[in-house]
Amino acid sequence: MRNTILTIASVGLAALALYLLSHMQGTSGLLSALTLIFIWGIAAVSLNLINGQLGILSLGHHGFMLIGGYVTALLMLPAKERRPFRTRLLSDWARNDLDLDKWLRGLGLDTIANSVDLKFVIALFLAGLAAAFIGIIVGAPSLRLKGDYLAIVTFGFGEIIRLLPNAPQVAAFTNGPLGIKGIPGNAGSIWWTFVVFLLVIWFFSRLKFSSYGRAFEGIREDEIAAEAMGVGLAYHKVLAFTLSAFFAGVAGGLYASYLQSVDTQTFNFFVTFFLLVAISLGGLGSITGAVLGTAIVILVRIYGGFLEESHTAFVGYISGAAVMLAAFAFSVYIRKSRRLRPVVEPKHYIFGGLGILLLLVALLFQGQPWMTQKVQFFGMRRILLAVILILIMIYRREGLMGRAELAWNKVFGSREDIPSDEQRDQDAWLSNPDLNPGAAKEDDDASA
Amino acid sequence: MPLLELRNIYKAFGGLQAISNVSLNVNEGEIVSIIGPNGAGKSTLFNLITGVYKPDSGDIIFEGKKLNGLTPDQVTKRGVARTFQNLRLFTHLTVLENILIPQHHRLKTGWLGAVLRLPKYLREEEEMRKIALEKLSFFGPRLMSFRLHQPVYVLSYANRRRAEMARAMATGAKLLLLDEPSAGMNPKETKEITQIIRRFRDEGGYTIVVVEHKMNLVGDISDRVIVLDYGEKIAEGDYKDVVNDPKVIEAYLGRKEE
Repeated sequence: MRNTILTIASVGLAALALYLLSHMQGTSGLLSALTLIFIWGIAAVSLNLINGQLGILSLGHHGFMLIGGYVTALLMLPAKERRPFRTRLLSDWARNDLDLDKWLRGLGLDTIANSVDLKFVIALFLAGLAAAFIGIIVGAPSLRLKGDYLAIVTFGFGEIIRLLPNAPQVAAFTNGPLGIKGIPGNAGSIWWTFVVFLLVIWFFSRLKFSSYGRAFEGIREDEIAAEAMGVGLAYHKVLAFTLSAFFAGVAGGLYASYLQSVDTQTFNFFVTFFLLVAISLGGLGSITGAVLGTAIVILVRIYGGFLEESHTAFVGYISGAAVMLAAFAFSVYIRKSRRLRPVVEPKHYIFGGLGILLLLVALLFQGQPWMTQKVQFFGMRRILLAVILILIMIYRREGLMGRAELAWNKVFGSREDIPSDEQRDQDAWLSNPDLNPGAAKEDDDASA
Repeated sequence: MPLLELRNIYKAFGGLQAISNVSLNVNEGEIVSIIGPNGAGKSTLFNLITGVYKPDSGDIIFEGKKLNGLTPDQVTKRGVARTFQNLRLFTHLTVLENILIPQHHRLKTGWLGAVLRLPKYLREEEEMRKIALEKLSFFGPRLMSFRLHQPVYVLSYANRRRAEMARAMATGAKLLLLDEPSAGMNPKETKEITQIIRRFRDEGGYTIVVVEHKMNLVGDISDRVIVLDYGEKIAEGDYKDVVNDPKVIEAYLGRKEE
């Protein structure tokens, strides 16, 4: 009860914050960053169901997103945007009749057809269904494979799906490599993504903490044992794959309408790669972690621009020194907090020494011409992301959140897995022969 | 009618005849031990019964129905559950979750109902938790209270063995196949396991097949002992008769040179 109230309150607060942000000046950058976090968050959470909870490495997620993107685009494209399609690729049917608006009016549902928002909901749902359908077709034969083999097969299927829109027969619907432009953009606004994001988080957290979620995690922990305990592997794998594909399709639809265009390069393999980085950063198997990882990656990419601007060499030296000193402080902290042998070894002082050296160089030669000349580091954002990823893999391999979720019980409640003093005594009594002479006597019997 | 019946089972891996012409019966409420030297085919027999391997020929009949050709999860649904020789718990999940997963196959609500937390699902979940606690209480207070919420990897070895038995019980099976339940346990714990296996039958109403190397445990609990050697059944009967059978002694110790 308390948890429900807290959840509703924080969702309300988030909505209020969004409302205020969208009415302030100069926040459009932040708003589009948030939109992207929500969209890619949905995709990351859905990939997390397969890669984190089910423990299967799937590399075909961009294919499902692409299907969702194209389906949403085709269904939502307004009539006046269809006419300029002068290309011979597009068939007449796709140009004139592949239109949700027309279908709805044909069914006499004019009220729905008049509202772009309602149409968008329907289009997103159909996009998800299309992706889920392809998910079953791809998943059913390939999920009997394991490990690397499955990863390669899913990658292959993902690429096939991505390249299909270019094939002449399919291009009759998809306009080939030119893609589709002019999707109504207001449907991809921050409110839409926010609401869909909340629904997806709700869905996946409910799923994770249900019997089905436990079955998925059982398969991840030990496939043979899970099967021996009555968990049908084929059914559960295909189920997870399909659900994941569905929400990947929804994310793809949202992204297409955010961009207002879609083509085969919108969802290339780097999409899956980016999602994998995000969920490994946040923690495989954790929904909170998937969202957190996505947020980190997107924020670094959007707000990391200053890293790639042109600075004087002086700034470069100072920031190099700062990084080295931070690394020194971090390694000292890690070492000192070890339980066994909390010693800082000489090699760790190398970082500190280098940092101080750089700092000295920077300060001593401050006015020199080679110090004031401009330098520019292209690609620093990606390097920064890569460094973050490396550090996480070395120091916290399970990701920022591990498999844990952010939960009210963890914030406020007591931890059930830590024994009370009474329970600790009881436990000692069970295993200590001095306290429990009965147990010791049994022991004698057994050895006799 | 026997609960489990194996009729002329053959299984070969390439050129190696792992099981040849093994027939055996297990009656309801019995504790049957299968013993034999290393490589005799004991674990293969378990894998054949539980559907991990398919027999080359022969029938496996449980409660009058054939188990041949079923996958392991279907076999478990029919009522045969096993433990593993080298523990196969869900290591990163809590003890309680480990005991809930084997009950998943009895869930009648679909995934959408589970996500929506329909009243029917909540009732089933409640029931699953009750059964889990009931099965764990078989092992005394060791796995109860705070241990329920600890991940399995913090448990001691003996507690893991107990958890694995509780997990097999929670599938709702009638027949438990225990693969070396006392492997790696000290004499005190072995004795406790002996009592627990007996309580499985007397209080839990399970029928039990045990593969075991510790002869005093086998002698303590078995109603019947079956000896395998090179994939063939060489003896069957009372523990005392079997261990004095010259064929069994030969299988374990070799023939005396004349």
